[in-house]
Amino acid sequence: MEDKEEVLLKVEHLCQYFKMGAGRELKAVDDVSFEIKKGEVFGLVGESGCGKTTTGRSIIKLYDITGGSVYFKDQRICAGTRSYKQAIAQARREYRAEVARLKQKCKEELSSAEDPQSVQAEYARLKEEAAARCAEIVAYNRKEKASAVHDQKYCDRDHARRVTDGLKEEREKALAACATDEERKAVMKDYATRLRIASRERIVNRIQMIFQDPIASLNPRMTVRDIIAEGLVIHGIKDKEYIDEKVYGILEKVGLVREHAGRYPHEFSGGQRQRIGIARAVIMEPDLIIADEPVSALDVSIQAQVINLLNDLRAELGITVLFIAHDLSVIKYFSDRIGVMYFGKMVELAPADELFDHPLHPYTKSLLSAIPLPDPQYEKQRKRITYNPLAEHDYSVEQPSMREIRPGHFIYCNSVEFDRYKAELGIE
Amino acid sequence: MAASGITQEKEVKLEVNNLRISFRTSNGKVQAVRDISFKLYKGETLAIVGESGSGKSVTTRAMLGILANNAIKEGGEIIYDGQDLMKISEEEFHRIRGDKIAMIFQDPLSSLNPIMRVGRQMTEAMLIKGKLSQREARKNFNTTLKRLNLAMNAARGNDAENTAKCRAFNKFECRHLALENAYNRAHEAATDALKGIDDLLFEIEKNAANTLVADVRVICRQSMTAIERYVVHDRAEELKGKVAALKKLAREPIAEIGKRIILPLFRKQVKKFEFDGEAISAALKEIREILAEAVAFEKPNFFALGYYLTFSGQPLPELSVAETNAELLKYLDENFMLDFIALAKEGLVYSHNVSTEKKKAALEVFERLKPVFSGSEIDRHDAYAAAKELISAVEAGIDRLEIVKDNSAYTFATSLRSAIEQYFGGIERNKKEETRYARQTAAYERKVARGKQPDYKVADKKLVDLGEAAEDILSVIVRVEEDFRRQIDRSGSVNFDERTVAMVDWLKQQASDVAYKVTHNMAKTRALKLLEEVGIPEPRKRYRQYPFEFSGGMRQRIVIAIALSANPDILICDEPTTALDVTIQAQILELINRVNQERQLSVIFITHDLGVVANMADRVAVMYAGKIVEIGTADDVFYSPAHPYTWALLSSMPDLDTKEKLEAIPGTPPNMIYPPKGDAFAERNKYALKIDFEEQPPMFRISDTHYAATWLLHPNAPKIEPPKSVTERIARMKARMTQEAGSAEKPDAPEKAGTAEADAVQPKARKPRKKPAKKTQKPEEQ
Repeated sequence: MEDKEEVLLKVEHLCQYFKMGAGRELKAVDDVSFEIKKGEVFGLVGESGCGKTTTGRSIIKLYDITGGSVYFKDQRICAGTRSYKQAIAQARREYRAEVARLKQKCKEELSSAEDPQSVQAEYARLKEEAAARCAEIVAYNRKEKASAVHDQKYCDRDHARRVTDGLKEEREKALAACATDEERKAVMKDYATRLRIASRERIVNRIQMIFQDPIASLNPRMTVRDIIAEGLVIHGIKDKEYIDEKVYGILEKVGLVREHAGRYPHEFSGGQRQRIGIARAVIMEPDLIIADEPVSALDVSIQAQVINLLNDLRAELGITVLFIAHDLSVIKYFSDRIGVMYFGKMVELAPADELFDHPLHPYTKSLLSAIPLPDPQYEKQRKRITYNPLAEHDYSVEQPSMREIRPGHFIYCNSVEFDRYKAELGIE
Repeated sequence: MAASGITQEKEVKLEVNNLRISFRTSNGKVQAVRDISFKLYKGETLAIVGESGSGKSVTTRAMLGILANNAIKEGGEIIYDGQDLMKISEEEFHRIRGDKIAMIFQDPLSSLNPIMRVGRQMTEAMLIKGKLSQREARKNFNTTLKRLNLAMNAARGNDAENTAKCRAFNKFECRHLALENAYNRAHEAATDALKGIDDLLFEIEKNAANTLVADVRVICRQSMTAIERYVVHDRAEELKGKVAALKKLAREPIAEIGKRIILPLFRKQVKKFEFDGEAISAALKEIREILAEAVAFEKPNFFALGYYLTFSGQPLPELSVAETNAELLKYLDENFMLDFIALAKEGLVYSHNVSTEKKKAALEVFERLKPVFSGSEIDRHDAYAAAKELISAVEAGIDRLEIVKDNSAYTFATSLRSAIEQYFGGIERNKKEETRYARQTAAYERKVARGKQPDYKVADKKLVDLGEAAEDILSVIVRVEEDFRRQIDRSGSVNFDERTVAMVDWLKQQASDVAYKVTHNMAKTRALKLLEEVGIPEPRKRYRQYPFEFSGGMRQRIVIAIALSANPDILICDEPTTALDVTIQAQILELINRVNQERQLSVIFITHDLGVVANMADRVAVMYAGKIVEIGTADDVFYSPAHPYTWALLSSMPDLDTKEKLEAIPGTPPNMIYPPKGDAFAERNKYALKIDFEEQPPMFRISDTHYAATWLLHPNAPKIEPPKSVTERIARMKARMTQEAGSAEKPDAPEKAGTAEADAVQPKARKPRKKPAKKTQKPEEQ
């Protein structure tokens, strides 16, 4: 957690729409932006169907996103084209409207003008100007779109090329430093393996995912060793002994023992299966782990084991985590910053303590008021706040947007509400 | 319904005694439930907490008779409504499942039919069960009235008059129900319409009335249904006019918003219209005013009204509702009710006295026949003869006019027969088992002698412990004997007035069940209402969808709606909210809590989320490795937990103030094929004593409501405090309570806390559990 300022993952205006047939679309994630800094745990909460899992899956490129972009380590890994397409269509529509207006104007002037030639010339000039403006916008957006398509498709290839280029340069230097042919050969051989592995490197592999259901996410016909090592094998590592050593090391790190490597998933309890899932993610030494409700399918006692394990791994390996969950007590305990989602929109984003001490958005308040605590007397008195977007907000005048109310505390509102929230916090 | 007259304590709905269940697997016998006993009272919520594999689901599945095929019912009984659920047949279970005991399962998808629309699935059971319960209620009503009649005859002897009275009761009861049903339907429609109007007005105000036409249609229909003699009567014509005007408004849009919706096949254009919101709002407000006035009217006493209309032959007096009620009630009491109640009371007294006499006779039979079963060897012929005599004596001793059937006499016949069967069947099976074992061992040894190494083992002998079986037989008899003794002792103090009222109430209840006919339309309305109650938006659209079109949380809500639709007596919830998020979870818990209070439903709630338990439970049972390790009221278990496992559970769960590392329970639950000899939790317990590994702790009594099975409670045990995280958390909770109670913002808070505490203590007074007293005296070995 040392280098807090470095941004590891940046999500900008992420949109993920699904086709529902008959020309309708489901806006699963709609214009969501956030940043995850290196070493922190970012929590995503919201009710089921609000798009938190979709956000996670879009980041790791399990879906092709509709609009917006995702930057990982300053490189764009996901990019959608919807906004560019819309911009082009908009420009063309405006152009057509402009032409129609000009035509009308020209007709009027022609009827009364003495010099029809000059009017028509003027008309032609204005039309051309509009066309040029339109063409400029279209060209710009086309270029952007092409670059987005390229990034979406070839970001891994570009990344691999960069890495191999770097390695080749290094090799040249090493070769230059060599004196004898024998040494050269050894260097060449050493670099050949590394190059082969590097050529398969994908930037998305630096992000790994832990799934909710440990039973469904493990192949029942593979041994634990195969499951954990699969990533390495795909990555091009052929050294059996190296793989085995690595698997054993990881197994011990997640609290299992070497002997478990030869067994099958069904021989394990729920908590142990989830540990296997975590081991599979961690073995690739990722920078970012997307944990999609890793504990909600587990018993309380085992939940605690898994949360402790994730905490230890985080301290040990310095992994950044995007933690998706609906259990607010767990997310409060585990996360540094929390984003609250409601129907595909991010409605509030704040550091964990700030969010729980000063919830501002009515949805966050209703969410917080619904947490059950192990305290019968308190539970008997707890009043749940219900959230009805129709009654709470009036967006007929002004559309809402993300605004920063305190450093690090963002809220989705319009200016009227912004002032109200400010008054609530007691700041001017 | 008034509380039962015989027992002053709370009514027991369900009783589990010494339940033991195992599963046959290829590796051996897994002991899932090991000797647990508890009681479920009427209207309470019992939460069962524990890890997966601790036997909580198995226990509840046994209640519904849906154990897996490889389950072995080793012993014990589950008594519900005078039946032992461990022994009744599949056919008899059909009446209980869903109808009386409903269950909400963990996995919603597997409990819904994938090729049937959700609405159909919801109404199907309602329609079928509606007919069934009608039939059953009629049977109950008729037989009980007949029995009452016979008891009256025996008590007073004036047969013809008694029979006439009973007939009259039957006759005007029918009239009463017809009137009341009509009233209820109209009244309900009026309240629904009011709610609908409020919602629609809000939507119009916010400019979001997307389903205006459909909503107006529903409101109009409901308003028309509300026109009835005792609901909207004087202003009926006015209401009709208003409704017609409203309908007209909804038919005439003022403008067209040309929004196209293209349907895939026909490319059809659907026009969207705008309506005159203000005019409709005004019309709605007028209707609301009429309905609100009508709903506020006092409800007439239909019971008296029914009698008056049936027998007086005169028109109703023109008086206000309150006056009419008083007048009619007086008329009813003078002419019929007082006599009837007096008669019924005599009948009940007579029947009770007879049964007490029979019970005394039965006790003599017990004395005489007990030696048959207590010898070292039981004679087969004698045993069966004695059993026959005992059963007939006990059956004679049952007072059939008691409404609450929670005594063990009802299950005596089946229990005794099966216990005897167990003993004598065991003798034969033991013989067979011995010969099999001898034969197989001989074969095995022959192979070994020939120098081969057989790749199998001879299975162990599975012998029935005859001593235990004999003890079981005796215990069945002794339990009934004790029950009878207790009832005879108490027979002098029975309040017959209360019991008579209860009887009349019960008859009325049965009669109303007979009259309650479920039609297709009603089922649909109820299904839609339930869908709305469980928080599903656009219920009308969702009603026609298939299960796969719903998200996980919604499916779970449908399943809950289906379970609630049957109006069950006991609701078993097997981790219903584990897969749901907090807001929906809160909604569903509120729903279950509300239904629990409204219908006096008893709920068994299985979960491992302690927050949910704190919200729901009146009492909590903590299970570990097939045993109940701690049981008590929610306050007992959360504020003064006694068992190390409860401590571990509490400390392994983060709450909003937790900052330090969580204390996870190390290791895994024990293998139940070879259950540990001592305390099952000892292996994972850092506070384990030496004796924990050697002997199982008995249930120690902490208070009248609070019991825990740990040696730490033994007087000789060292004093061990709960772990720091638990004590800190309890201190924090107490601090929060006092802080909230003291804060000026909530003036009613302290009072509330006080009543909550009083509530928690008062209704949960229960009689102490029987516990193996001999073991508590064991000295401690440290």
